[in-house]
Amino acid sequence: MGHQFCNIILTFSFAMLLVAFALAFIRIVKGPTARDRIVALDLVASITMGFILVYSVVINNAIYFDIVIVISLISFIGTVATSTYLKQK
Amino acid sequence: MIDIVLLTLIFLGSAFILVAAIGLIRFNDLYSRMHATTKATSFGLLLLIIGVSLFFNTGTVWLKAFMVVVFIYLTAPLAAHSVAKSDKTKKL
Repeated sequence: MGHQFCNIILTFSFAMLLVAFALAFIRIVKGPTARDRIVALDLVASITMGFILVYSVVINNAIYFDIVIVISLISFIGTVATSTYLKQK
Repeated sequence: MIDIVLLTLIFLGSAFILVAAIGLIRFNDLYSRMHATTKATSFGLLLLIIGVSLFFNTGTVWLKAFMVVVFIYLTAPLAAHSVAKSDKTKKL
């Protein structure tokens, strides 16, 4: 029972993250201004971090935590760079 | 017993990220959207990272988790502030 329950919860977490990804992608496509798209891309980076965290639990491999560190660094640099560019334009 | 806590944390973290995405798609203003995504995403990722660290439960993973949580909680308000400031002083 335990293993089955674990699989159901992890699959449900993947499903919720996938729905969140789809909603953020809709906002990227139809966002009125460029800043809405920047905010949505920041959310997409966070959703990717969530995907990788749940996937590292599924395949039982702790080395995937490094990817989360790198994505958190890169997404912050990208957001600040793009908004500074829009501010100075 | 620890499995229940771990699965609850992972489920709640994913649910908070889903709530952030719903707020991103439903609100009708840039500041409201940033209000939804910044805070809910930070909290959801905190719950997810604590859950995954409880699953592996080694010193290296806890150290990396601490680093990621500190970095997210330092940089998410900074990124939101930068976007809001670029919207406040826009010329285009």
